[in-house]
Amino acid sequence: MKKMTKLKKMLSLCLTAVVLAFTASDVASASTLPYDSYNYDYREYIHFTPAPYVPSGSITGSSFTYNGEPLGNFVNPQDMCQADDGNIYIADTGNNRIVVLDKKMKNVVNVITAFDNNGTEDTFNMPYGVAVSENGQVYVADSQNHRVVVLEKDATLVKIVENPKSESLDDNYVFTPLKVTVDYADRIYVIAQNMFEGIMVFESNGNFSSFFGTIKVEITLWEKFWKRLATKEERSKQQLYIPTEFTGIDIDPSGFVYATNIDSTGVQGVRRLNPRGEDVIKKGQNKNVGGDLWISGTSDYAGPSQFTDIVYRENGIYSCLDRKRGRIFTYDHEGNLLYIFGGLGTQEGTFFMPVAIEDIGGSLVVLDATGASIVCFEETEYGRLINEAVALRYDGDETQAVDLWQRVLELDENNELANTGIGKAYLTAGDYVNAMKYLKLGMSREYYSIAYRRYRNSKLTQNANYILTGVVILIVVYQIVKRVVKKKKEQAARERVQKGGSQNG
Amino acid sequence: MGKYFSKDKWKYMLYTVSHPMDGYYWIRHADRGSVPLAILMVILFAVSFSANRLLASFVVNDIDPRAVDSLYELMGVLAFYLILCVSNWSVTCLMNGEGRMKDIAIAVGYGTVPITVMMTVSTIISQVIADDEQAFYGLLLGAGIVYGLIMILIGIMQVHNYTLGKTLLTLFITFIALLIIIFLMLLLSNLIGMVVNFFKSIYTEIIFRT
Repeated sequence: MKKMTKLKKMLSLCLTAVVLAFTASDVASASTLPYDSYNYDYREYIHFTPAPYVPSGSITGSSFTYNGEPLGNFVNPQDMCQADDGNIYIADTGNNRIVVLDKKMKNVVNVITAFDNNGTEDTFNMPYGVAVSENGQVYVADSQNHRVVVLEKDATLVKIVENPKSESLDDNYVFTPLKVTVDYADRIYVIAQNMFEGIMVFESNGNFSSFFGTIKVEITLWEKFWKRLATKEERSKQQLYIPTEFTGIDIDPSGFVYATNIDSTGVQGVRRLNPRGEDVIKKGQNKNVGGDLWISGTSDYAGPSQFTDIVYRENGIYSCLDRKRGRIFTYDHEGNLLYIFGGLGTQEGTFFMPVAIEDIGGSLVVLDATGASIVCFEETEYGRLINEAVALRYDGDETQAVDLWQRVLELDENNELANTGIGKAYLTAGDYVNAMKYLKLGMSREYYSIAYRRYRNSKLTQNANYILTGVVILIVVYQIVKRVVKKKKEQAARERVQKGGSQNG
Repeated sequence: MGKYFSKDKWKYMLYTVSHPMDGYYWIRHADRGSVPLAILMVILFAVSFSANRLLASFVVNDIDPRAVDSLYELMGVLAFYLILCVSNWSVTCLMNGEGRMKDIAIAVGYGTVPITVMMTVSTIISQVIADDEQAFYGLLLGAGIVYGLIMILIGIMQVHNYTLGKTLLTLFITFIALLIIIFLMLLLSNLIGMVVNFFKSIYTEIIFRT
């Protein structure tokens, strides 16, 4: 009998082990993605999240044919842009051509290799950037020809912007445009090589008008102190304090320019410039729109994120592409990090050298220069819920967003934005207990405080009767006790006097 | 036990808190203070310090609870108390201070009482305050800390029979001495570690050879 139970025990133990092993391998195989998705919480700890976007294939140039001939691979493509009609323009820099794909990226619509420049056939030399205006004109940053070429859709020349003249430019300044974008009024915004003054703005007639969004150099007191101590010779050998260049540019429908730059401190890698060129970005609760927060270390892989391109999506959401670690950081209009995904590597869904990002019909598309491919990502349930909830909040429908946030929480319990969103909705609905619970989980001190204050005040008014009665009773009891003690003391004193008197007598 | 924690000692401690000038004078000259009581006060201070960090309400508390280790903080406060007393004693010995080691220990220990009390009170108050009432919390806490520091200052001044200027000077030198002590201790522990390592490696060497 005893042996039997022992055997049974052994058996059940083995069974449990087997079952556990199987479930464990199940859990391990759940994530087959080539990258981690994570986010930073209020305390700046990393918390891993479900994937907001998953790779949905990559596209290389060799998979296309155009006019019956194979298109051939892209060579070092540098920029990508979607026109309003849905076509996708790719600056195939190494091949000196602009490739136009259709909306679904299945067919080549057009390949622009040459255009008619006042009777002579003209070509591109390293077209680095491409943009399409609202009326369908194509703007090409023709870098090694030192000009921006503006073409109609059918490649007839509209104008050429070159050789900008201004008092604020050197006489021998060589204009090398890298990235270009255009706003609703056909003003052209150009990021040029070695131009530290900011983004160059050209009027619709092609005249240079001004610099835009100049990044100011910030010298700390400490650096000033050392500069003061250094001799002239030492100073000449120190690094120059020059502002960083912009790297990528996009424009939202209301004319605000989003531009990325490399920030060596990792605090602000993106700027939102209003029409006057002032930075009006909101930096969120971590006071950071610079990508990764954990950047310390000495390896090649450490250091601040280097944003190389940005795409404004919709409802205030924008995604930045980090070329340092190949990650995509998505922020909302308040500067809160929504999700992070992506990575460098050789697997499907990772990049060698990401250079450009675009939002094409809700899926994110990244152009990989070295890999010469377009990597596509489609949103998952998790990503979709967050995008929709943020969109509702952007429109001011926070109460409607609650259902979505609840479902986000089912997938990712620690999502602070979701907790805060639910908490705020409870606050407006007047359910202060739940509001406090969720706002605390969301680490929203400000709104928690409001919820707590209302909760406390409502409790106070509800129980005012008891509290006031209690106070009155306390006062009465205190008075009575005081009198009794006083009387006792008097009595004791009297007795002592009597005793003393009798002793003396 | 009774002698150190007698009712009289407790009462006199409270008297010292309300009359620091007078109180510290008689602690030095009539032995009215109690070192164990002072140490108990420091322990209570460490406890209230950790409690404040852990239990103050979410509205005023921005401290990550994962970063609070109350035992570690207790050890830290006690070690700091010890080093502070030792360094002050060694400095004042050379600067004509009249205070004995136990007087310094009592002066500092009793000085923590207002801080402990106000910290506890503000921790409790924090449970019922909302957004714009944070100032009350800060005021209570600040008042306690300022009063405590003033008490320690007066205590050091009285037990050594110093003028205010000289007290501030000695406190500054005490601070430097404190840093030197910490430096020497680190150095010592490092060197001892090296010696221990040396013998350990000799031991392993012998073990492997034989």
